[in-house]
Amino acid sequence: MKSTKTGLLAFSSLLCGGLVVSVLAMASNDNLDTQILAEGLDHPWSMAFISDSEMLVTEASGTLRRVSNGVLDPQPVAGVPEVLFRSQGGLSEVRIDPNFLDNQRIYLSFPAPDDEQPELNRLHVISARLEGNTLVDQQTIFQSHPPRKTAAHYGARLGFLADGTLLITSGDGFNYREKAQALDNHFGKILRFNTDGSVPQDNPFVNTPGALPEIWSYGHRNPQGLVITNDGKVYQHEHGPKGGDELNLIQPGNNYGWPAITYGIDYSGAMISPFTEQPGMEQPLKYWVPSIAPAGMTLYSGEMFPQWQGSLFIAALVPGDVRRIEIDDNLVVTEEILLSEFGRIRNIIAAPDGSLILATDGKEGKLIRVTAKQ
Amino acid sequence: MIRQIQAFLISLLIATFLLVTHTTATNLVWLSSIGMPVDLAVSVSALVTDLAGMNSRGEFPAFGLIFVGLLIAFITARIISIWTSLKKPYLYALAGGAAMLAIVILMPLAFYHLDIIAGARTLAGKVYLTCAGVVAGYYFGSHPQPGDSNEKH
Repeated sequence: MKSTKTGLLAFSSLLCGGLVVSVLAMASNDNLDTQILAEGLDHPWSMAFISDSEMLVTEASGTLRRVSNGVLDPQPVAGVPEVLFRSQGGLSEVRIDPNFLDNQRIYLSFPAPDDEQPELNRLHVISARLEGNTLVDQQTIFQSHPPRKTAAHYGARLGFLADGTLLITSGDGFNYREKAQALDNHFGKILRFNTDGSVPQDNPFVNTPGALPEIWSYGHRNPQGLVITNDGKVYQHEHGPKGGDELNLIQPGNNYGWPAITYGIDYSGAMISPFTEQPGMEQPLKYWVPSIAPAGMTLYSGEMFPQWQGSLFIAALVPGDVRRIEIDDNLVVTEEILLSEFGRIRNIIAAPDGSLILATDGKEGKLIRVTAKQ
Repeated sequence: MIRQIQAFLISLLIATFLLVTHTTATNLVWLSSIGMPVDLAVSVSALVTDLAGMNSRGEFPAFGLIFVGLLIAFITARIISIWTSLKKPYLYALAGGAAMLAIVILMPLAFYHLDIIAGARTLAGKVYLTCAGVVAGYYFGSHPQPGDSNEKH
């Protein structure tokens, strides 16, 4: 692969009280081939490979699609529950069970109207068995509490820790941002469950009076990126308001500060907080001002781009590109901008063959395969 | 006419100032309640930053939004005044209140049902901002309007 194209925009950033030099590189795509796998998808949101040649894709409008050998199946997967498709809400994450080959279970996240107060809604996470092209044996793992009026900031990413427990990101609901600092609710939290919906007894707040025992970390805004590495590190990114998007290294029990500390301001131009740091609240590994609107993240470990192994790839909605992030010793040392010609990128995953798969945002969303140029 | 424009601009400043200070105070009170070190210097700095920020770096300038709201409301009140005997200060106070209430209710419709003005998220906040419009309108209505005869004042 050719070396990264010049255009180095070096900048320094002060992080965690120390001087960290990171490099923002505008990379060319001369060494990359791109191919449209599928188009006409209605707000594609998440993708997951169920075999070397088959992938599931969620459309926020409420359908689960299958792509087999690079061809989109016109018939959606049956049995997907009714979802609330409004504003930022819709069918969100699809994640396969670590033992999928044995149990064929998948996990979905989505908002749905509250049973008792249908004008309100909750984030749901379910598991189901994929039998042919139908979801069966559905089990509810999680419903957020309390219900919300807004249809925004759900988070809704899922990830499995090495012990088989499930992490769920739950956003602050926009209008409820202060609740991200309280432990009696699900707004602005990362939660940890067993796959049957029970709470692991080694969660950090199980013995804290008044705290919901499933809370794993708190003080988040709208966490839409979640990566768990083989050595157990949990990286998360979250949308900031106007500026202040963050990449965080998550530790159980920690407070990530929102909205008490932030590098962003409100959409009205008002300060959300005059503070950017405070003892007891974690600093991000990196923050972005202005916002890039990070919407999905994957860790690359494939063979097709050996020079990128260990990098995080972040899908950015604004201005619309992919950020390759290198982290060394818990410091971001490189940020490279790639694939800025496709507009808003909703998500990115790595395929089993080492290629990267992008989903573009919107009513006419596309799946784009990125491979090394031969 | 000049005095009228002057009165309108001052009423605009009153409403804008009350909205910004309410937003700042709402944030600072909550921050203080969770133990953040909010002192006088932080409060003054936050207020000054918000007075500038909410009129320059947001998705919309606060004074621009209120300008449009009050202008429509006061023109409407002027027309209504032809048929009503309600005293001008009260009529314009109602108009100012209606303008601010409309802003805090209609704004979310333009932003995915989200309350962009943080201070307007609660019922108390909406009531306060409506009262800010009432104060601004009362000030405007307390000044002579075109067509008012000298005998009335």
